[in-house]
Amino acid sequence: MTPLRPYVRPLVALLVTSAFFLPLYLVLANVFKHGPDITASPASPPVPPTLDNLTEALTRPDRLFWNGLINSVMVTLLSIVILTVVSAMLGHYVARTRSGFGRIALLVLLAGLMIPPQVILVPVTEVLDATHLMGTIGGLVLFNVGYYVPFGVFVFSGFVRTIPIELEEAAAMDGSGRFGTFWRVVFPLLRPATASVLIFLGVWIWNDFLNPLIILGPAGGTTVTVGVYRSIGQFQRDFGGMFGLMFLATLPILVFYLVLQKHFVKGLTGGAVKG
Amino acid sequence: MTLIDRTSPDTRSPGRETPEVPPRARARRPGRWSYPLVFASPGLLVYVCFVLAPILLAFGYSLTNADLFHPDAEFIGAHNYTTLLSDDAFLRSLRVTTTLTLIIVVLPNVGGIAVALLLDRPSRLYKALRSVFFVPVVLSSVVVSVVWMALLSDDGLINTLLRGLGATSPPGWLSDPDLALCTIGFVISWQMLGFCSVVYLAGLQGVPKELLESAAIDGAGPWLRFRTVTWPMLAPAMTLNTVMLLITGFKAYDHVQVLTAGGPGLGTTSTIAFDVIQTGFTENRTGLSSAMAILMLVIVAVVSSLVLQLLKRREVDL
Repeated sequence: MTPLRPYVRPLVALLVTSAFFLPLYLVLANVFKHGPDITASPASPPVPPTLDNLTEALTRPDRLFWNGLINSVMVTLLSIVILTVVSAMLGHYVARTRSGFGRIALLVLLAGLMIPPQVILVPVTEVLDATHLMGTIGGLVLFNVGYYVPFGVFVFSGFVRTIPIELEEAAAMDGSGRFGTFWRVVFPLLRPATASVLIFLGVWIWNDFLNPLIILGPAGGTTVTVGVYRSIGQFQRDFGGMFGLMFLATLPILVFYLVLQKHFVKGLTGGAVKG
Repeated sequence: MTLIDRTSPDTRSPGRETPEVPPRARARRPGRWSYPLVFASPGLLVYVCFVLAPILLAFGYSLTNADLFHPDAEFIGAHNYTTLLSDDAFLRSLRVTTTLTLIIVVLPNVGGIAVALLLDRPSRLYKALRSVFFVPVVLSSVVVSVVWMALLSDDGLINTLLRGLGATSPPGWLSDPDLALCTIGFVISWQMLGFCSVVYLAGLQGVPKELLESAAIDGAGPWLRFRTVTWPMLAPAMTLNTVMLLITGFKAYDHVQVLTAGGPGLGTTSTIAFDVIQTGFTENRTGLSSAMAILMLVIVAVVSSLVLQLLKRREVDL
């Protein structure tokens, strides 16, 4: 279509992408290099590679990585499982009900999509204090459920509307209750929505910084993301140690992304096409 | 039964709540309140406890002088709000947030369209390059900030490189008060670029090839084809991106905390979100920080719904 020579576009694309990726390359390369080599020649590839930085992060005496990993996995898994169940049902309710209450509930929930967490954190800590949940995993999970339920409802309610109500009517006629109909007939059909919700919320909650920093506090341990932040001061000029910890903290979510790439893009573009 | 139902759709009244069920099944069903109770109440309850009630609480606090020295807060009316609106520090965080948000709305939008146009080809190479751009979106903003801090701090890798090339005083990317805010804006834009380009790529899939071809036959060059065909068709993608970026800009906290902690100098990179957390948790001035939070919420709500309206109208007009 354009009068460009055939090799121009791939060449430009490769160059632009490399420039964009350079910062991440520098981290990746330096994870496998010794400290002195990092400052001497930051851009050189790691030959021969060393695993010292990774073993250092894995064998820290304060177990920063391992404790963080356990907390992150627990918080993320509990939050996304509960969020999926709760927001699938609530999404079904707001999509199917014709009551005024349902309509108001949907509006109030959608407004929640754009509330910055900073606005509510001070009072949230008081709610958690009052219920003795401050500084606990349970408290953080409950907050996550409340804070992210609007996103779940937004995705699920949109998807429920595309499922013919006749299916539910037929199941009801066969004597199935609404609860059973939902879980046995409707929920299996919501799989793409479930995938979107699990993936996006999984990444967001894993990466959350401020909420676990404040809700778990120093007492409740840290997540891996907060752990990276807490270790910045210690490392000062020890890039190798810092990169090692960061690499390990990111690996799980990066694998998660690479495995589920297709769903990511689908989840995003579903919204974009509809506008 | 199904057959009868399908052949006589007119027997179904459109506005009814529950599907018709045979008497036996209906008798087994619990009361009409059980459906909202089981389906709606768990989610709504947690939402009310952890989002709605806190907003009301924040509003309540914002009318008091609650802080570390006033455990028994007194009602002081709109005093916190009037204090804030004439407070240089707060007005500065408003300016900082506005500047940062402008950078974050413009850079990834422009870059995202460019990258999308560059990579809008079906071959494997371009698909692989697209996922490279998306990687930072998946990383936590703390990790992204630490990566860039290692590169941009005064003795970081970039300045080491520049000194090696003979520069005597390379720029203080994060330590120069005039530069730090732009640097943070750049880092956040770098992280959001992949998000925008994926959304624009999806938008480009919706541009009919026939339109582009007929424009080409009519003699339209690449730029004219982009202006008149592609650009208008990208309007919905642009709406989504812009609103998303606006909200990202308004609530920017993590990058600021890691890269500059609000400095260098006096609050040169202190966003409202950063200010709210500082005042509320570090200084323990609950009343004042709640007033900031409420103002922040109002600004986010007003600006993003205005922009959304504007962009939606533009979608229709084009």
